[in-house]
Amino acid sequence: MRRNTLLAMALGLLINPAQAAERLISVGGAVSEWLVALGGEQHLVAVDSTSRHPLSLTALPNVGYQRNLTAEGILALQPDALIGTEEMGPPPVLAQLKGAGVNLYTLSSAPSLPTLEANLAQLGALLGREAEAQAQYQAFQAQLAQLEQQLSQQSSQPGVLLLLSHAGGNPMVAGTDTAGDWLIKLAGGHNLASHEGYKPMTSEALLALAPQVLVVTDRALTGAKARAALLEQQPALAATPAGLAQRLPVIDPTLLVGGVSPRVPKAVAELAQAFYPALQLPSSTLAGSAP
Amino acid sequence: MKPLFSIRLVFIALALGLLLAISLSLSLGPVAMSLDTPWRVLLSRLGLPLLVEPQAQLIIEQIRLPRTLLGLAAGGVLALCGVAMQGLFRNPLADPGLIGVSSGAALGAALMIVLGAGLGGLAPEWSPYLLSASAFAGGLLVTSVVYRLGRKQGRVDVATMLLAGVALAALAGALIGLLQYLADDATLRTLTFWNLGSLNGASYSRLWPLLAIALLVLVSLPRSASALNALLLGESEARHLGVDVERLKRRLILLTALGVGAAVAACGMIGFVGLVVPHLMRLLLGPDHRTLIPASMLAGASLLLLADVLARLLVAPAEMPIGVLTALIGAPFFLYLLVRGRSHA
Repeated sequence: MRRNTLLAMALGLLINPAQAAERLISVGGAVSEWLVALGGEQHLVAVDSTSRHPLSLTALPNVGYQRNLTAEGILALQPDALIGTEEMGPPPVLAQLKGAGVNLYTLSSAPSLPTLEANLAQLGALLGREAEAQAQYQAFQAQLAQLEQQLSQQSSQPGVLLLLSHAGGNPMVAGTDTAGDWLIKLAGGHNLASHEGYKPMTSEALLALAPQVLVVTDRALTGAKARAALLEQQPALAATPAGLAQRLPVIDPTLLVGGVSPRVPKAVAELAQAFYPALQLPSSTLAGSAP
Repeated sequence: MKPLFSIRLVFIALALGLLLAISLSLSLGPVAMSLDTPWRVLLSRLGLPLLVEPQAQLIIEQIRLPRTLLGLAAGGVLALCGVAMQGLFRNPLADPGLIGVSSGAALGAALMIVLGAGLGGLAPEWSPYLLSASAFAGGLLVTSVVYRLGRKQGRVDVATMLLAGVALAALAGALIGLLQYLADDATLRTLTFWNLGSLNGASYSRLWPLLAIALLVLVSLPRSASALNALLLGESEARHLGVDVERLKRRLILLTALGVGAAVAACGMIGFVGLVVPHLMRLLLGPDHRTLIPASMLAGASLLLLADVLARLLVAPAEMPIGVLTALIGAPFFLYLLVRGRSHA
C-alpha cells in the first residue's frame, strides 16, 4: 500500500510537478526557513540541528547534524521526501534512504541570487506553490536591488572584516568564497580579507588591515555580549579604526551557514546602515519580509 | 593475578552476552518493530511462508544487519589487536595506536577528505570506498615505517619501536592539523565526524574487506597464544623456550596493522575497545592468552554492538558518536573491576 503511494507520488512528480508532497524532512537551516516561508511548515515532520529559525521548528524531532544523518532514524519518521543541500551526508546513508523509497531533493547552498531562484523554484514545485515561491524570490531580489540602488549613491566604501568567534574564542575571519563575504558585498562594504574561506588571523594582522567596520558574529553569544567577549579576547581590536569609532555591528551566525536565508535582506540592510550611517533606509526595508 | 571468576562461567556469560547484543542490534532501532521481526525475516528468507512487512524486511536486511556485522567485526578485531599489542609490548597500557596504525589511518583519511575536496569534490558514489582505501593504506604505511625504524641488526627492538610510534603519531597529528588548517569549513566538519567514528551507513559492499581481515585475525591470532604467554616472561626467556620471537613480533604487528587499519577504514576512529577490553578480560580471567584472546574477541564485539544500539536509540532520530558510548559503558565496569580486584588482592 505504502509502496504504491510512493510510486504514484514519484510518477506524479515526474508528470505533474505541482503534486504536493505529504511528509517532509528538511535538512539545512536556510532550506527549512524557506519551506516555512512558503507555507510548508505543516508538512514538516522533522528538521536537522542547523534548522533553528523560526523558533517553532525546534519543537520538531531533530534528525541530527546534516552531515551525519542516519537512515533508520529518518525512515522511522516515514517521510515522503528529504530536502536539503549538497552538505547532506554521509553518502552511504543517502543511498540507503533512496533505496528505501525516500525522494531526495538536493539544493545548492551557494550564496548567490541565481542559486536562490533555482532553489525557490524547486521548493515551490515541491509544495505546489510555484506562484508564491516566485513572488517571494521577486520580493527578496527587489529589496536587495533597492538597497543596491541606494548604495550606488554613496561614496567612500568602508573597509570591512567579518569575525566569526565562539564565545570570544579565537576569531576566524571571513575570506573570499564565504557567505560572510557575500553579505559584506551586498551591504556595500569592501572585504579587506583576501584569503579563501574562514581562517584565523593574528591581532597584528587585523590591526595592519585597519578595518573601518568590524562585523561581529558569535556562535554562542548574541548582541552586545558577543561584542564584549570579542574585545576582551582580542584587546588589540579596540585600537583598529572600527574599534575606536565603535563601529562593530553584530549579525546572526546562522545567516552564514547552509545557504541563503529569507532573513538576508533585513540583515544586509542593517549592515548597510552600519557601513553608511548617513544612509536613509525606508523603515520597511529594515523590517524585512522575514517570517 | 588470580582470576576473579571461574573461566567457564565467564565464557558462558560472554557468549550469552554476545548473542543478546546481536539480537538487540537486529531488533532495536528508531523504527519500532516487534522483537521477533528479525527472526521472522530470517525464517522467511529460509523459505518459511511467513508474512513480513516489506519495510521491516528492508530495514533489517539493508540497515541493521550490515551494521551488526560491521560492529561484530570491528569490535572483535579491535579487541584482538589490543591483546596482541599488550602482549607484544608486555604492557597492559599498550593500545593498537602505539605502532602508528590509527594515526596513519586518520592521516590517510584526512588526506583523502581534504585533497578530494580540493580537487573539486569526490564523486559521492566513490568517496566512501576511496576514503576507506586511503585510511587502510595510511595505517599500513605508517606502521611499516615504525617497524623499520624499530629494527636493529635484524631484530625488532620493542622500546625503539614504541618511541618511533610515538614520534610518527605526533608527526601524523601535525600533518592532520595542517590539513585541517587548509580545509574549508565544510571539509573540516566532515573530518570531525569521521574522527568520531560510527557504524552509521554500513553497507555490504564496504563490509567484506573488513570481514575477510577480521576472519584472518580471528584464525591467526589464537595460534600465537602460547608464544605470547612465553613472551610474558621476557624476550630472552621466550627465546629459550623455543619461541621464534622475531617471527612472533612480525606476525603480531602485521595482524594489528591489517586489523586495526581495516576497522578504522570501515568505521572511523573508535577508541577504548582496543585498550580496555583486553585489560578487562585480564582482570576477569588472568593473563593466559589462550583464554584472553577468545574472551577479548567476544567482549569487544558485544561492547561495540551494545554501544551502537544505544547510539542509535538515545537521541533518535539523530545519533550519538559511538566512541562516547563505548567509553561510557566500559569505563565504569572497568573501574569496578579495578577496585574489586584491589580489595581481593
